[in-house]
Amino acid sequence: MRRRVFVAAAAGALGAWPWLASRAQAPSVASLPALEGELTLYLGRGEGGLYENVLAAIEERNPKFTLKVRRGPTAALANAIVAEAGAGVRRADVFWAVDAGAIGLVDNAGLARELPTDLTGQLQAQFRYPNWAPVSGRIRTLPFFTGRLAATDIPTDIMALPDTGLKIGWAPAYASFQSFITAMRILEGDAATADWLRRTRANARSYAGELGVVMGVERGEVDIGFANHYYTLRLKSGKPDASVALAFTRDDAGCLVNASGILALAPGELPVNFIRYLFSREVQSYLAREAYELPLVSGVAGPAGLPPLASLAPPQVDLTRLADLKPTLDLMRDSGVL
Amino acid sequence: MSFSIPAPTRLRMAFALAALLVASQTWASGAIGDHVNAMADHIEQYSGEVAWLIGKVDSMVDTYAKDGAEAAAPAALVDYWEAVDFHSAIETHYIPLYASIWQGLFGVRTAIEQGVPVAQVREEQARLERVLWQSLGAVKMAAQYQARGLLPRVETTSADTPRESVDVIKQRLDRVLAKYAEQLPKEAIGIVQETYLNLFEGIEGALIEQDAELVEELELDFNVTLPTAIQDGKPVNDVRAVIQAMQDKLDTCKALLTAAEQSRGKVF
Repeated sequence: MRRRVFVAAAAGALGAWPWLASRAQAPSVASLPALEGELTLYLGRGEGGLYENVLAAIEERNPKFTLKVRRGPTAALANAIVAEAGAGVRRADVFWAVDAGAIGLVDNAGLARELPTDLTGQLQAQFRYPNWAPVSGRIRTLPFFTGRLAATDIPTDIMALPDTGLKIGWAPAYASFQSFITAMRILEGDAATADWLRRTRANARSYAGELGVVMGVERGEVDIGFANHYYTLRLKSGKPDASVALAFTRDDAGCLVNASGILALAPGELPVNFIRYLFSREVQSYLAREAYELPLVSGVAGPAGLPPLASLAPPQVDLTRLADLKPTLDLMRDSGVL
Repeated sequence: MSFSIPAPTRLRMAFALAALLVASQTWASGAIGDHVNAMADHIEQYSGEVAWLIGKVDSMVDTYAKDGAEAAAPAALVDYWEAVDFHSAIETHYIPLYASIWQGLFGVRTAIEQGVPVAQVREEQARLERVLWQSLGAVKMAAQYQARGLLPRVETTSADTPRESVDVIKQRLDRVLAKYAEQLPKEAIGIVQETYLNLFEGIEGALIEQDAELVEELELDFNVTLPTAIQDGKPVNDVRAVIQAMQDKLDTCKALLTAAEQSRGKVF
């Protein structure tokens, strides 16, 4: 059994990944061009208040710039953009989505504009896409109950987890969990994923959401859970002595990095320059510090309590393929999980 | 027919309606006519409907006293209520009273169906009449605010910040009670689940940094306490107490989120 890497490990000692050397550093906002004119942004709901703070700060810094924002569920906005294009109109100049799947819907419809390589070049190689850019990430983790488990008890292979006999907490109805299963389907195939679901179900306890999973782990109701990283970090922030720590699998769906993403729909420099602000060192640091999101650019520290991304081993998955949920839901239903 | 609303009640209504001015409005589905955005033009209609409804109930209880439960046909009460536009007006502007109306309607209906003495049915009838008049007063007051442009249009709106989400969650919980009082427990539980997944989940990350125990309590409330109370068919007042306790906790959440936002560092 492969062994795990977890929060307390001296992650930096593992060394940088090859792609890091080729990345440009995130620029300071001071070096960015001033924004002038008007843009309409379609903003999928996510870290609501924090994204709003970022947008307000950009507007405040650029007095000749006006941002009109239409907010809504990410999937609904993506569908609206495609429908508007079908009707021959374009109301949105930029689309900021909380998950990459919705970005894929718009990009696949041929509506996204190519982004300049000096902008996408700030991202790690595996997160570079020609027509959109992941703004910040979240990584799948295995929160575990430190009252019963040591980090060495946890496999680094997600497919091996059901064999451990550990009692597992999960939230199958939760969107992030379903993206994780979609990634597993892409990486391991449907048959192996269905088998994994059935084996895991035998030792699983369901929760409504992933914060619930982490809290269930912390109470010792289960040994280990599946959740995005920020729930545990936030719980530890509010309750430093919480009996939970993070473990990570390697190079499989168990440590998938998913991301919010942005794309330009309108031509010209203004949409692209607006996007540059989101990739500034200051905005990326703010999202890492306040929203515990994972910066995917160079030169910005990740949230406190999380190993550097360079020390982790997320799998190579085209994030836009995570939108293909129907086969995942079918598989989960067939496996008795939903 | 004339009526009056006691001063303390007017004060409570004014306070609650003022609160509506700063809160987003959200409810589930249902046929809601345009009249709810022009209530001042329909006050006479609403007044007539309330009087008509009260008359129907009175006539039903008279029939019960004279000829018994079968002749009274109490199930028709729901049809009467759903036939009036006033139904939408109160539903969209003062959901707590909307819940109480349903509670009153079922109070009368159940009393008749159970064949209790007429005096007891009259007590339920009086309770229902009180809440109907109170609701008409609330709608009249809301109509005044609306006519002065102080109420937002009735439409489904979203919450953009965690603090706004708290307001919407509280309103959704009012709607849960309304649906439960309407004897639609599945729909009530559906609203609880949808509110948890689409709204509370969105703010609990920020909240847990402020008060992990409070989040834990609300997690339990959303996923166990409230759904269980509804599934077990607890009395409406018991479910109301659960919801009130949750709303009190949500007020604490809002204060915590406000304080956290004020102490947050700047982006640039």
